[in-house]
Amino acid sequence: MVTRTEEEEVNRLENQVENGGGGVWEYLCLVHKLKLRRSDMVLKHGLSILNDSKKRSALGPEEWTLYEQVAVAAMDCQSIDVAKDCIKVLQRKFPGSKRVDSLEPRVYRKPPLYLHKVGGWLRTHHHVQNPCPEPHLWDSHWICCCCRLEAMLLEARGLWSEAENAYSSLLEENPFDQVVHKRRVAMAKAQGNTSAAIDWLNKYLDIFMADHEAWRELAEIYVSLQMYKQAAFCYEELILSQPTVPLYHLAYADVLYTLGGLENLQTAKKYYASTIDLTGGKSTRALFGICLCTSAIGQLTKGRNKEDKESPELQSLSAMALEKDYKQRAPSRLSVLSSTLRSLKI
Amino acid sequence: MAEDLVLDTAIRDWVLIPLSVVMVLIGVLRYFVSKLMKGSSQIPDPKIVKEGQVIIRARNLRAGANYIPAKSFRARKAYYSNEENGLLHVPKGQAANPQAQMFSDPNMAMDMMKKNLSMIIPQTLTFAWVNFFFSGFVAAKIPFPLTQRFRAMLQNGIDLSTVDVSYVSSRSWYFLNLFGLRGLFSLILGEENATDDTQRMMQMSGFGMDPSKTLGAEKDGLDIVQHDWVLPKFEQRAESVLRKLVK
Repeated sequence: MVTRTEEEEVNRLENQVENGGGGVWEYLCLVHKLKLRRSDMVLKHGLSILNDSKKRSALGPEEWTLYEQVAVAAMDCQSIDVAKDCIKVLQRKFPGSKRVDSLEPRVYRKPPLYLHKVGGWLRTHHHVQNPCPEPHLWDSHWICCCCRLEAMLLEARGLWSEAENAYSSLLEENPFDQVVHKRRVAMAKAQGNTSAAIDWLNKYLDIFMADHEAWRELAEIYVSLQMYKQAAFCYEELILSQPTVPLYHLAYADVLYTLGGLENLQTAKKYYASTIDLTGGKSTRALFGICLCTSAIGQLTKGRNKEDKESPELQSLSAMALEKDYKQRAPSRLSVLSSTLRSLKI
Repeated sequence: MAEDLVLDTAIRDWVLIPLSVVMVLIGVLRYFVSKLMKGSSQIPDPKIVKEGQVIIRARNLRAGANYIPAKSFRARKAYYSNEENGLLHVPKGQAANPQAQMFSDPNMAMDMMKKNLSMIIPQTLTFAWVNFFFSGFVAAKIPFPLTQRFRAMLQNGIDLSTVDVSYVSSRSWYFLNLFGLRGLFSLILGEENATDDTQRMMQMSGFGMDPSKTLGAEKDGLDIVQHDWVLPKFEQRAESVLRKLVK
């Protein structure tokens, strides 16, 4: 996750780079490190370094990392030719890699271990990440990289079945290449084949079950398919791995609220409350959630007249907080809000 | 001893300094040799990768147990530690004996041997060299007095109880170099690359850490976790937060 200071640093550098103030390489490194998706910028400025032979050679071995970064960014921007050129350079440098479509069974040497540790996540089919965080001289790593890039190029050109084959054969050789696993999921998603995406993702999570970003992706897919029970499980997993991230509490509460039923609603209310606590009351969605949950619980328990003993004031407080917030930031909508809240009151 | 021993300057020029220089050079050489050999290692064992991930996830569950509802916690606990096919359950007898595993996997034994070779061979050679050429005389003097306890450390190879302890025998100088050059290596070869003999020796003795044991330990840890849902407390905390906000 990108912290605020890191984000500020990136934005500052981006500004500086855009205005020709230098620091291009630092910017690219930072984008690489944080696994951000600013492909247009990376393509533009990375290419400017690569086209300048003096600047390029000053990078030393990191030159190849830059080639990879630019290739990936180019695929993201659909500049297939640039990507092809970059991959060609890499292949010339690391000639162990053959074309992927003529892939023969080959013994790979061990991929660098850090591949398992990193590996960001891809949102859409061409949201591309950078698989190797450090420059490395290991030829075997680069041979893997070239193959992967080739497969990704196929994917970027929309040759799904070829890319699929390429990824599968890559995985046969090295079943622990997280990047390839994730690309396969992303590709299935890009084709709109959500059930396949779920299958691949589950297969991936069967091995790498501590990868919370994959859990998050799975949760979002399940939500989009209205499979809320499964999504709830994923969000529980996320809360377990990072108990202090309010986003997961909020999403979990949303899922529970959508599921409905008294027990789920009460639980949802608790998670909305924890979101409020974790965000310091800044989350408007959680405030609304409290109001909705309370009114839904009230409707369900109307006959029994069972009051919530634990926090009787929570709803009125969140309604007040909402009103205050609206007064400050959107006074014109205040009337809408108060009528909505009134309609929620039992 | 009343009178001081006078050390020949030739000893400094031909023993003390060459010994240190040779030790440094051997350390550097060994680093590169071991790097060369390390290049060809194999894909990690799928079982081990998965076990590592299971352990991380179980640890997360243990740490964050109170953040999920009791029902979900119970389901997960059963999933991890049930006696039939729980993820953390290691069937008896199947617990792999590391020794046996080492012999069944020639690659692993090979790896170990390479590591050992790159460590032991230069060490034996230098020790033999030092022993042969420089044994039995005093090579240096440290500028402060020491107690008798240090005799074994500083005057290895000299069996005289009358020599002052602040004199260092050449063989002891070798040992001091062997164990004391770590800081220098980390300067020359980079932080993580320091060829650290002492550390490696530790690793040797600790070799054969049994993954099934960690799984079992994690399972025991999970078994004793008491689930105490903290979310109800959050409602009160949220109330106080909102009260402050509304004010």
